[in-house]
Amino acid sequence: MIVGMKKGSLIIMKADRDAVLKALQQAGEWMTISEEAADAPQGESSAAEKPENALAFLSGFAKKPSLFSSKPEVTSEALLAAGEEEKKTAAETERVMAAISNIDAELSALRNENETLTPWLDMDKPIEDVVDTRHVRVLSGFAPEEALPDIEAALGDTGALSAYGGSKDGVALLLYLYRLPDGEMKAKLSALSEAGFNEGQLPKISGKPKARYDENKAAIDRLLKQKEDLEATAKALSDKAGDVALLSEQVRAETERSRVTGVETAQTLLLKGWVREDRTARIEAAVSGVTEVYDLRFADPAEDEVPPTVTQNPHFLSQFETITDMFSLPKIGTLDPAPVAGIWYWIIFGMMMGDVGYGACMFVIFFLFKKIKKPTGEFGKLINVLFYSSITTIIFGVLFGSYFGETWHPIMFAPLDNPMGFLIFTMVIGVLHIFSGMGIKATELIRDGKILDAIFDVFSWMILITGLPMLLLPELRTAGIIMSVLGAAIILLTAGRDKPTIVGKITGGLLGLYDISSYLSDILSYSRILALSLATGVIGMVMNLLARMVAVGPIGFVFALLIYIVGHVFNLAMSLLSAYVHDSRLQYIEFFGKFYEGGGKPFKPLALRPKHFNVNDQKSSHS
Amino acid sequence: MNTGIVLALVGAALSAILGGIGSAYGVQAAGVAAAGVCSEKPDLFGKVLVLQALPGTQGIYGFLIAVLILVQTGVISGSPADLTVMQGLSYLIAGLPIAFVGCGSGIYQGKTAAASILMTAKDPDSSAKGITMTALVETYAILALLASILILFGIR
Repeated sequence: MIVGMKKGSLIIMKADRDAVLKALQQAGEWMTISEEAADAPQGESSAAEKPENALAFLSGFAKKPSLFSSKPEVTSEALLAAGEEEKKTAAETERVMAAISNIDAELSALRNENETLTPWLDMDKPIEDVVDTRHVRVLSGFAPEEALPDIEAALGDTGALSAYGGSKDGVALLLYLYRLPDGEMKAKLSALSEAGFNEGQLPKISGKPKARYDENKAAIDRLLKQKEDLEATAKALSDKAGDVALLSEQVRAETERSRVTGVETAQTLLLKGWVREDRTARIEAAVSGVTEVYDLRFADPAEDEVPPTVTQNPHFLSQFETITDMFSLPKIGTLDPAPVAGIWYWIIFGMMMGDVGYGACMFVIFFLFKKIKKPTGEFGKLINVLFYSSITTIIFGVLFGSYFGETWHPIMFAPLDNPMGFLIFTMVIGVLHIFSGMGIKATELIRDGKILDAIFDVFSWMILITGLPMLLLPELRTAGIIMSVLGAAIILLTAGRDKPTIVGKITGGLLGLYDISSYLSDILSYSRILALSLATGVIGMVMNLLARMVAVGPIGFVFALLIYIVGHVFNLAMSLLSAYVHDSRLQYIEFFGKFYEGGGKPFKPLALRPKHFNVNDQKSSHS
Repeated sequence: MNTGIVLALVGAALSAILGGIGSAYGVQAAGVAAAGVCSEKPDLFGKVLVLQALPGTQGIYGFLIAVLILVQTGVISGSPADLTVMQGLSYLIAGLPIAFVGCGSGIYQGKTAAASILMTAKDPDSSAKGITMTALVETYAILALLASILILFGIR
């Protein structure tokens, strides 16, 4: 069911803006209609980035949250305003973060310098003393160790060298060359470089390399100690990571409030927004709770306004809305397909899985997941869909006699023994599925007073599609011929009725009848139910076979158990993925293709949507 | 072991080999895209993993047909049936649809999955559309699987 919407206009004093918006946010039922273009910046606010970064930093120090823990709960009150305690923890965290990153930068500078110093450690004189004199030119650089004799030879009696420690560039060298005329000097230098000498700079420091190195080393140790202390502080702070997470939520909620815009006068503010027509009282209560000076009116949407779509269905069906919503929301004024689509999704999912054992596993796994993790929102709905589908999985498992891949007393038939029977069964399911979609279209057409359109475009096809397979059964043959001819005749005569010319009408009719190919391919598409059901069953069977083959002796038995468990878990996971994907596809392409337009706008009220917490106002305080 | 059984084994091997190659390539192509997306947006891991797993089914289908052939010919239970050459050839033919189509559709589904993963990276809400687009490619692998199964069960 699509819920009717009211357009609310709320006039408040500007001074009350913050209080009123907080109350509306807490109620979560008011979707502000922005005066500006709708493409105001959405998504993560930059203001919430700082506490988020701090939180990510702290989570590096905190204990890994247990696999079986759900999000902590807070009251909505706590999410509304930034608290002093939270701000303090966040500020402290940011200070530690900055200090650690400073230390890291210093450490890396010191370590780099020490790396350049390493080759020169043996040099027992201050670096600034290594300078050219009037008669001697000093060159510093590196050379491979085996090139030393060549370099000495190249120097000859015009200079001397001293070699120091090795590095990745080779041995560190200082060459002392007697000054020569420019030309000869050039020749000498090229001879040296041919011998293997690479000129390289001395470290840019003053003092002896060794002294500087030890100094750096001491500084590194000191910084490491400081860092350790800071990390201990961070570890202690990580116990209060919840505060930072809370601040992040508070900042995000505040950003969302600040994005609300309205028309302003000197003293007052006019807000416009969409509200569910059955929940206008909640808005009234929220606003009157914080101020007495306000004016709140509700009106029906005007002709040219498109309110957002809210659907309301019984709990069971509403969980399946997530499948429809992923495709597209229904548009206001059309029928909500979720109830019909939900039931079909439920049934087809069970047929695709079709195994009692896997159904029982799904039931237990998703039941525990719901209890322990308490998933919310669309994800929570999806978990519920899988949970409910475990029931149909078990039902079809019993019908097909499939228990963890073993066949045992099928009530209908075992897919492996009677694939043709199953194939026909899936086609029948496909026809019924498609017919229910066409039925929704016919209902809409009749509701709009277009009864003839419903007969020409929908019922004609239903008659034709029902009649064609009856031709194959001898006893129903005559009825089949009558229905097929009747259906085809209606389509042939009416499909081109919108065309202005006679030729257009004839070709339109022929083209309309050609649609039979698309109906056929749609119905054939349901054979995937057989394929997936067989895949689940056969892979399960193979795992049983493999396990039985190795189950010889105690070691074999352990291996068999391992194969059994891992194999079935893998098969369950892959089958779930396939069933989810292909069941969705049957809804989207084959079913929705017959009638569904979609195109509704989502209802996104001003509300608290914490990422790290679950809101719970029942409990008095968070534990 | 006679010629018939050997031909049937060739059919089983082909369907497992080619289906596996198709899926391996497809999952790899999607995996490259998924890893790239996760390096920038680690929280999308769950969504892109679903997409990456989609091209994996062709390998499963190929394996499925291989096992069915082995079961039908009695090889897996250790007592191979006495097949004629014609029967063996029929088993080989039964393996061909899923072998070839599985290989081709696995590769192409991988490319579609990679594109859908990149789409999901830009707009995480559109992952359902990506899943649908990717699943469309698989239709042909499923039809080939059905053809293989129907041929297999039609062999007398």
